[in-house]
Amino acid sequence: MRTVWNIARREFTSNFYSPLAYVVICVSLVLLGIFFFMVWGGGFWQADRATMAQMFLWAPRGLALVVVPVVTMRLLAEEKRSGTLEMLITLPVKDHEVILGKFLGAWGLVLVLILATVLFPIFMFKAPWNLGALDTGPVASGYLGLVLFSAAAVSLGLLVSALTESQVIAFFVTWSLLLALTFLGLAADAMTNPVMRTVASYMSFDARLAPFARGMINTRDIVFFLSICFGCLMGSFWALERRKWA
Amino acid sequence: MIEASSLSKRYGAFRALDKVSFEVHRGEVVGFLGPNGAGKSTTMRILTCFISATSGTARVHGHDVFDEPLEVRKKIGYLPQRASLYGEMSVWEYLTFVADMRGLDHAGVQEEDARHRRGVRHRTGARKDIRTLSHGYRQRVGLGQALVHSPDILILDEPTSDLDPNEKAEVIRYIKEIGKERTILLSTHNLSEVEAACPRAIIVSKGRVVADGPLDDIRTKSGRVRYVVTIDEQRSFDGSGKSTKRAPSAQEVQEALSTLPGVSHFRELPTDDRAHSFEFGGSPGSDVRHDIFQLCVQKGWYLLELRREARSLEDVFKALTKGDERLDRGRRVVIEQDEEDEPETDEAEDEDDLDEGDEGDEGDEGDEGEDEAGDDDESDGDDDAEDEDSEDEKPSGKKKA
Repeated sequence: MRTVWNIARREFTSNFYSPLAYVVICVSLVLLGIFFFMVWGGGFWQADRATMAQMFLWAPRGLALVVVPVVTMRLLAEEKRSGTLEMLITLPVKDHEVILGKFLGAWGLVLVLILATVLFPIFMFKAPWNLGALDTGPVASGYLGLVLFSAAAVSLGLLVSALTESQVIAFFVTWSLLLALTFLGLAADAMTNPVMRTVASYMSFDARLAPFARGMINTRDIVFFLSICFGCLMGSFWALERRKWA
Repeated sequence: MIEASSLSKRYGAFRALDKVSFEVHRGEVVGFLGPNGAGKSTTMRILTCFISATSGTARVHGHDVFDEPLEVRKKIGYLPQRASLYGEMSVWEYLTFVADMRGLDHAGVQEEDARHRRGVRHRTGARKDIRTLSHGYRQRVGLGQALVHSPDILILDEPTSDLDPNEKAEVIRYIKEIGKERTILLSTHNLSEVEAACPRAIIVSKGRVVADGPLDDIRTKSGRVRYVVTIDEQRSFDGSGKSTKRAPSAQEVQEALSTLPGVSHFRELPTDDRAHSFEFGGSPGSDVRHDIFQLCVQKGWYLLELRREARSLEDVFKALTKGDERLDRGRRVVIEQDEEDEPETDEAEDEDDLDEGDEGDEGDEGDEGEDEAGDDDESDGDDDAEDEDSEDEKPSGKKKA
């Protein structure tokens, strides 16, 4: 556990050695602000209700398309390319500890970002503005959804990063996968085949997150995200082990 | 401390290691020598549990590398090739990270670290980011991290590559110093370093151990000696001791010299037009210098230079590894060669289907010395894979057979 924690801490802080993490955090918060307040299809003001649903619609999309691919692309790909992985793994660590540490380090950064979005409800409904009585239940469940979703997305990015040595490839593959999984729900609506439609909406991150934003915590959704996370971590572990035999 | 027994590693059809066996005992500093792509790094990676062998076993400090990788890693300090470090961390942060990972408490680390930093003198850069350091300093940080827990066993993969000569000398001196109380396996393709730091060497080529033993043994293993004779080309003297202008021709000299017992492999060395210079091999037990002197007196030649030297480690290395390079590793090759150079290690008893074509034929190194050196330096891409490619292009096997 100590080694997991050490790796996670190093991974987390390494984000702040370069301007990348700062840029990503700033850009994504600005983007979230823009989408939150003034985007087609009804921004925060147009909804005219004391709800944060708007944020829980856009935050996961921002995470999937901006933050997670950038944060996860380096994780193992860069270490493999530069050879630091050899140095890391020949320390007394187990492979699964490396994977867990990497995952926690990257997830930690995403969680910090998610935490930063708490500013939105606070500013709108506490101080300096008090626009009305916010129903805190859906907000809390919405955040639970975000946390679970981010775990799944980060583990997916980690898996992709474990499979390649190129950060660029890792970025684009992760980005494409997350794009597809996120908007599968929208695509499902257009599908005519009922079976396809059901399958697509089952797999869609958007569709899975919608109930959380409405205040509904569904065990199925929790299991969905957790199993993606677990599966991807196992996959990453195997991808890392593969070096021994390949 | 380190025992490898018939380690083999295959990458697909490519055989990177072929039943490599050796032992390193407590307190030994052993040079692990071989041309690029010979399997040095692969062996070290197996010993440090980074990759697994396809077959065979290895034990480090009594722990099996396959079954107890964690125990093995705790016991060793490892410096990978090119010492890749986290460039964005400072030296101090990095060493602290490694110490944390090894579960050392910081007070101990500071003490240890201070000691080793004195040794490798990277104190000045402790607060600097690693990526801003020169290669030499990076290598020192790499050594520092390998030593942070005072391991009994050190495995260093080309610790002196990328260093300038002064830094090399310093690192070698340091390795000698720490080698007094540690077991060190040091891989390199630089022979002078081995001669400077290691009493014993293991030479690998094409994934096989071709020589293993004390340096002197390896040197004399081939047992050949080399003579260099230079004779004045413009003048000679007659029976009464007077100089004459009658000059001996190169062919004349060579013919006369080749009548001596046990000499072979004549090669004319480049000289100006004032002298003939020949290099040739002699048989190990004999010394023909007296005969050469007598011959010159008889013929009335002025002997300008006469030198007899045992083969240098470099020659042995070339002879042992070069012949082997002609083999197409991973395929069945049949070489009809005498195997006098076959190492006495376990290779003799392994029932490999490959016809142990070690071709340790030192016969040709006399005329091939120069281009062999060139070839050895050419393939600098250390990758086994690259090596494989280049070998596939070579006409297979037995050019000399």
